[in-house]
Amino acid sequence: MTLGMLAILLAEGGGSGPFSVNPGLIIWTWIVFLVFLFFFRKTFWVTIVSRAEEREKTIAGQLAEAERLNAEAKALLAEQQKASAEAKSAAQSLLAEARAAAEKERAHGVEKGRLEQEALLDRARRDIAAERDKALVELRREAVELALGAASKVIGQRLDAESDRKIVLDYLAKAGGNH
Amino acid sequence: MMQEAQHGASEGVNIGEIVLHHTSDGYAIDFEPFGTIEWHKWPDIHIGGLTLNLTPTKHVVFMIFAAALVLVAMWYTKRSLIKQRAHQRAPTGFAGFIEQLVLWIREDLAIANIGKNGPKYAPFLVALFFFILAMNLLGLVPWGATATGNLAVTAALALMVFLVVEIGGFMAMGAKGYLGTIFPHVEGVKGIGGVALTLFMAPIELLSKFTKPFALAVRLFGNMVAGHFVILSLIGIILLFGSWIIGGPTAIVLAAIMLLETLVAALQAYVFVLLASTFIGLMQEAHH
Repeated sequence: MTLGMLAILLAEGGGSGPFSVNPGLIIWTWIVFLVFLFFFRKTFWVTIVSRAEEREKTIAGQLAEAERLNAEAKALLAEQQKASAEAKSAAQSLLAEARAAAEKERAHGVEKGRLEQEALLDRARRDIAAERDKALVELRREAVELALGAASKVIGQRLDAESDRKIVLDYLAKAGGNH
Repeated sequence: MMQEAQHGASEGVNIGEIVLHHTSDGYAIDFEPFGTIEWHKWPDIHIGGLTLNLTPTKHVVFMIFAAALVLVAMWYTKRSLIKQRAHQRAPTGFAGFIEQLVLWIREDLAIANIGKNGPKYAPFLVALFFFILAMNLLGLVPWGATATGNLAVTAALALMVFLVVEIGGFMAMGAKGYLGTIFPHVEGVKGIGGVALTLFMAPIELLSKFTKPFALAVRLFGNMVAGHFVILSLIGIILLFGSWIIGGPTAIVLAAIMLLETLVAALQAYVFVLLASTFIGLMQEAHH
């Protein structure tokens, strides 16, 4: 049986046996398939696959959008962080500046106060000294007047006022030099 | 008595004749016992040394029938899908099945193997799958014939895949990249050794370009023809012995084989398309 089949196979090898290739059939296959493919593509492909493609497009779009948003958010975050850091450093420098200014102001105020106080004290001292001197001079003159008055009374004559005074003053100066 | 019966039955039964009659191409379609449609062979055409006969054969008729069948199924699918989508319903039934099948081939075969150019090749691959599937299945219906059981048909399909692979590769990689698939650059070997190795590899690479479609053609053809040989031989055994004792169990085996062949018909269509998409994908990448 097998041998018989083989014999038939071999006998029909060039004709219509299973292993023969009919070139006409190759051309027919191409024609039929290409026509089939054309109609398949034109008519059904879009309908069957459109939704899947749409979905894919939507998902791809969403992914791209998400990526874009993510990148944007990251950029914004970085910007924000930069701005925050900048603000922080600015605030810190401002604070330091203010502190320094305050310190300076305080020192300046203290110094000024001290100077003023000193000036005041000085003036007061000077005033006091002047007043004292004045009082002293007054007192002296009073004393001289009194002494002269008393002396003239004692001597009973009017002394030459100017020369007498000079004597007294000299005396007083001598006496003042002692204390 | 049984020997006599056997002898008597075998007189008229020639299994080899049955097998070849049903698998070989011809210019007639049998509808026994309802008759036979026969037609005349057209005259040969001579182009150079090639003799060409463009008479549509039995396999051509079944091929066109398969294509028409797929188109009708697709038309029905399209109509159902549009109706189902208009009602905001999920695809169900036959249309839903076809939709899933199409999307599966598109995503898991075309896009998975070819990559970003996958959607471009998807219509070709899906059409190829349904075309082959329909041709394969037509061989399993009564009076049917398998066009894919003809080496010319599978060779034509494989040649087409070959052209798609090579032209697609050329388009994707450019002339330089394409030449790299014939004259491969061998990593890590420099100078004269590298050149020699490249030249040595060229015939192998060229050969591999042609063995791929050859394997495609022979695999599909072999599977279809072998399946039909088995089925027809079993039918032949039933006819040969003409007895219930042998015919009964044989018929059960035959039914099982028929089921197996249905699976094989789908499987071989899948394998053909899977390999086609793999070959296309391999050529799409610059690094061969």
